[in-house]
Amino acid sequence: MADNDGSTSSQKSSRFKQTNLECKNLYDYLKSRSSQVLEKLYNHPTICLAIYRELPDLAKQYVIRLVFVEQPVPQAVVASWGSQVFSKEHNFASTVLAELTLWQEAAIPGGLLGWILSPTFKRNLKVALLGGGKAWSMSSALEADSKARDVAFLDTYSQERWECVLHYMVGSQQQEGISADAVRILLHAGLMKRDEEDGSLVITRQGFQFLLLDRQAQVWHFLLQYLDTVEERGLDLVECLTFLFQLSFSTLGKDYSTEGMSPGLLIFLQHLREFGLVYQRKRKAGRFYPTRLALNITNSHNKSTPDIEEDHPKGYIVVETNYRIYAYTDSNLQVALVALFTELMYRFPNLVVGLITRESVRQALRGGITADQIIGFLKQHAHPQMLNAEAKQPLPPTVVDQIKLWELERNRLTYSEGVLYSQFLSQADFNVLKEYTESNGVLIWCNKEKRTLVINKSAHDDVKKFWKRYSKGN
Amino acid sequence: MGPPKRAATSKSEAKASKKRKKDEDVEYAYEEDDTNDVEGAEADIPGAAARDAEKNDQSVQEDEFGAKDYRSQMILKPDNASRPLWVAPNGHIFLESFSPVYKHAHDFLIAISEPVCRPEFIHEYKLTAYSLYAAVSVGLQTNDIVEYLKRLSKTSVPDGIIEFIKLCTLSYGKVKLVLKHNKYFVESPFPEILQKLLKDPVIQECRLRRNVENESEEFIKQVQDKKTVPTFGAKPGPTIGEPSTADAQPVPDDISSFYEKIDVEEDEEDNSLETVSFEVNQEKIEVIQKRCIELEFPLLAEYDFRNDSVNPDINVDLRPSAVLRPYQEKSLRKMFGNGRARSGVIVLPCGAGKSLVGVTACCTVRKRALVLCNSGVSVEQWKQQFKMWSTADDSMICRFTSEAKDKPMGCSVLVTTYSMITHTQRRSWEAEQTMKWLQEQEWGIMILDEVHTIPAKMFRRVLTLVQSHCKLGLTATLLREDDKIADLNFLIGPKLYEANWLELQKRGYIAKVQCAEVWCPMTPEFYREYLVCKTSKRLLLYVMNPNKFRATQYLIRYHERRGDKTIVFSDNVFALKHYAIKMNKPYIYGPTSQGERIQILQNFKFNPKVNTIFVSKVADTSFDLPEANVLIQISSHGGSRRQEAQRLGRILRAKKGAVAEEYNAFFYTLVSQDTMEMNYSRKRQRFLVNQGYSYKVITKLAGMDEEPDLFYKNRDEQGQLLQQVLAASDIDCEDERVPGEGGPRSGMIRKAGNMGSMSGADDAVYYEYRKHGTLTNKHPLFKRFRY
Repeated sequence: MADNDGSTSSQKSSRFKQTNLECKNLYDYLKSRSSQVLEKLYNHPTICLAIYRELPDLAKQYVIRLVFVEQPVPQAVVASWGSQVFSKEHNFASTVLAELTLWQEAAIPGGLLGWILSPTFKRNLKVALLGGGKAWSMSSALEADSKARDVAFLDTYSQERWECVLHYMVGSQQQEGISADAVRILLHAGLMKRDEEDGSLVITRQGFQFLLLDRQAQVWHFLLQYLDTVEERGLDLVECLTFLFQLSFSTLGKDYSTEGMSPGLLIFLQHLREFGLVYQRKRKAGRFYPTRLALNITNSHNKSTPDIEEDHPKGYIVVETNYRIYAYTDSNLQVALVALFTELMYRFPNLVVGLITRESVRQALRGGITADQIIGFLKQHAHPQMLNAEAKQPLPPTVVDQIKLWELERNRLTYSEGVLYSQFLSQADFNVLKEYTESNGVLIWCNKEKRTLVINKSAHDDVKKFWKRYSKGN
Repeated sequence: MGPPKRAATSKSEAKASKKRKKDEDVEYAYEEDDTNDVEGAEADIPGAAARDAEKNDQSVQEDEFGAKDYRSQMILKPDNASRPLWVAPNGHIFLESFSPVYKHAHDFLIAISEPVCRPEFIHEYKLTAYSLYAAVSVGLQTNDIVEYLKRLSKTSVPDGIIEFIKLCTLSYGKVKLVLKHNKYFVESPFPEILQKLLKDPVIQECRLRRNVENESEEFIKQVQDKKTVPTFGAKPGPTIGEPSTADAQPVPDDISSFYEKIDVEEDEEDNSLETVSFEVNQEKIEVIQKRCIELEFPLLAEYDFRNDSVNPDINVDLRPSAVLRPYQEKSLRKMFGNGRARSGVIVLPCGAGKSLVGVTACCTVRKRALVLCNSGVSVEQWKQQFKMWSTADDSMICRFTSEAKDKPMGCSVLVTTYSMITHTQRRSWEAEQTMKWLQEQEWGIMILDEVHTIPAKMFRRVLTLVQSHCKLGLTATLLREDDKIADLNFLIGPKLYEANWLELQKRGYIAKVQCAEVWCPMTPEFYREYLVCKTSKRLLLYVMNPNKFRATQYLIRYHERRGDKTIVFSDNVFALKHYAIKMNKPYIYGPTSQGERIQILQNFKFNPKVNTIFVSKVADTSFDLPEANVLIQISSHGGSRRQEAQRLGRILRAKKGAVAEEYNAFFYTLVSQDTMEMNYSRKRQRFLVNQGYSYKVITKLAGMDEEPDLFYKNRDEQGQLLQQVLAASDIDCEDERVPGEGGPRSGMIRKAGNMGSMSGADDAVYYEYRKHGTLTNKHPLFKRFRY
């Protein structure tokens, strides 16, 4: 009968923005590249296909309609392809296409404005869709690997490697370290920073938020940050991106040759190897296997991809209505993550017992983690038993509510800017102004004894005018 | 965890058998240890050390996150997925409720340990000396306990726990206290143990020697025959809602075979047993009981009612219509497990049919029965229950209260109150006669209703005044804020059975309750006063918070429209009266006369116009109001977990119909935001939360703003209310005191101290306060993170 949840869904989007970690998707990322870079990127059929897949549905439609048209099509015609009801969608689709310079405005004889697809994009998309063009730099023309690796092996490998990075962030000592390059990326991404006093690396607010993201989002975010630094290393951004996209279209469990790769690309490959996106037995093995992490990397915000779900460690967290947390894990990383917002009590060989308390959650909140992130994390890793339960929600609603309430508890003060009026000469003056502001609904606070009042800042000018008129009248 | 594959099990079979062999080796080694232990124990028992397993892990290292790290103490078994529990070195046991062997493990754990919390997925139990005592008393053997625990555990069981179990159980269950021919005897199959006990000077003193000349320490010898377990009334049909055990997951062989073994053993007794005994002075019963516990030989009270030819049988039977639910039968099986009646406590939630268990116990023993309850109203209710479930009629059941004095002499079932028995002032002649008769009798069974509410002192009086062969305590919540619960273990006996609330709820034996905590913001004026006034007034301020009043009014209207029956609880009389009078509803509190009470309750039951009543804490226990399905709590007794559970019990009785709805009963607690009420309420909820209930926090009642004519809408009215509150006297600020509620009985006594001490919060401050400002146990991550 009472409703606590009504407001949360609408707040979700706004609250997500408050978090300091910006998660870009492919579109956001490409939008911020210069048109030259984009032009270069569009030289590669793989990229064109990847971008095409990520376009809004209407934009895909337009692209397909235009891909074989050699002259500009009037904008009015394009607009007429869809029903008027969906003009909003149409506008959105056209901005996306324009921002990615996939189409350009062109004048049509007769004074009308028209759209024409970028010639490079058009050409390469045709290649991607119809075949042809030159072979990909990563070919699979190899004789069979004598020590072929199966999918399960690749999965564990990629997981281990990736967790190495996370372990490093969490600061647990048991794991082998990561390379200086990786550390630089973490610093660059703002996920970690150097401590002012001793210069040691410490995790930042964004770092915490990063840890609670799902694996795919983590990899994507991390790679974007990596790509930012690519040029400083003397690598070619376009080349790397192209390779990345090719990788995302590769087949899991298949090996590819490194033959014909440029020296820069080979360095890039080594980096990917370190993070577990590809597997190589030896640096000079001449072949590599892409892992699940590298697949489908471009459609990072499509949660429904089943292959990636499998990659996730199976849900291991049980949340009880009495605020107990049971985590079926022996991984230090997972324990550390759970410990971010719980008070751990016991540790068994394959189970950790903890308690969510007000204090432990507040500590996490102070650390910059939001309630939604905690809840999202718990949901994402919910134990299969919790999902089987009769209740539709995987988490006990009371616990979810309580975590949110603990967060709300911290922002119970509302701020409104105001202007202080004080030192009235007489009570009558004070009363006049009080009545005026009150009747206008701009009075925030007043104290009769001290003859002070605070009014809304926006109404300051108006009140000032009123006051001048009033005092002149006297 | 998916179901393990078939091939995997067959492969592991060989391994398992190998392991079993290894286990046997280990077991053998332990047996050797046992004998050593016993010898050591006989020489000198480190009593204190054996008491508490919590101490076992004080030396355990904490990991970087502040958790106790047990990883070094146990080895994970390879087939851990099919085993359901973890045993921590401090005696806490965690059980997966979704495990295929849950049922096996659950029955076993209930027998050997105390449930700590039982929510949906993972239950926590705790091994205590008392729980192990209870385990032994229902017939489990030390080695069986250890062995079964080992088999059920996902890991190896820590040595400390095995040691603890042995220490607690080896000496337990060896000596029994038996009442025969109106004389008490200490009985044991082991003469050497009795010898040992008699070396103790205290016990020597308690021993009664009829034959003073005969100085030689001769024991009385006796041979017992095999007993059979009685059956209770009509058997229920195939249990409804029993989860189908035809699970795909295979149960590890060793567990299922052992389970069957234990199940059988429970009912099995040695064919004949030679026992020795000595007689005990009746006044010193409690002394000897306590002393024996100190000596680690707790006395088990048992009553061989079948072979009791001295006391006449009474002619009561269960009616054929009385059908026991599975858990009721199980609890009774624990009590009559070996054909004799054990004394002990059975814990069932309110509304789950405690009275039927009591009635059935009486009908099984078929000797004179005495039922003690804590109010006149519940005396009436017990009589009703007897008439409903058994063949006893008015001539056999007799009430002994100040109001209704039936002719008790010679009756078979006597129902009375604790205060009636322990009354120390002058009685009427009639009552005097009755008491005399009562004391002369040798009662077959004594049923103690709501056993947790009775102060230990009163108990002792009851137990010295009345002799009974066996005592059955019934309660819903075996907890007290003052921790006197442990006393019950030697005053009555071990806990025989405790039901799982959530499970009963799932099977529809008790109502599905939606618990909600409604946060009512304090109005600014009230909050200002709250901050400045002295402690005693604060209570009144947060109870009388106009927003709370409005929320109450709104909830009452909402539920009246739905056709629900609502009870509103307020411990504070001032608030009770004010709310009730303002809303024009009937109310019951301490001074309300019995006649008026019954009238109001009757109206509430049958009059469709009376759908809401206001009650004070007098209605906490044993007011049976099966119609009520909404409960609103506006003021409560500090942080009492028991009260919370008791009150919930008022609406737990299963409701008919209403199956379609998710919840069929509602429990609201109204708290004023930012006052200490919030802390109390959190503390109060702990018990129910541990039983698997969850409280939904409601910060805003939807639709309350649209509701017309709620009181105290504007500032002026609120101001007037504030004036009334401030003008109230100090006595108004206090909770109502109910006789027999622990405190001194003489009406109003001013006590120095604060609300906290009144609520028993002195020794247990809500932990958040203790931790405030201590940033020492920060998460290692945050230690590195500078804000």
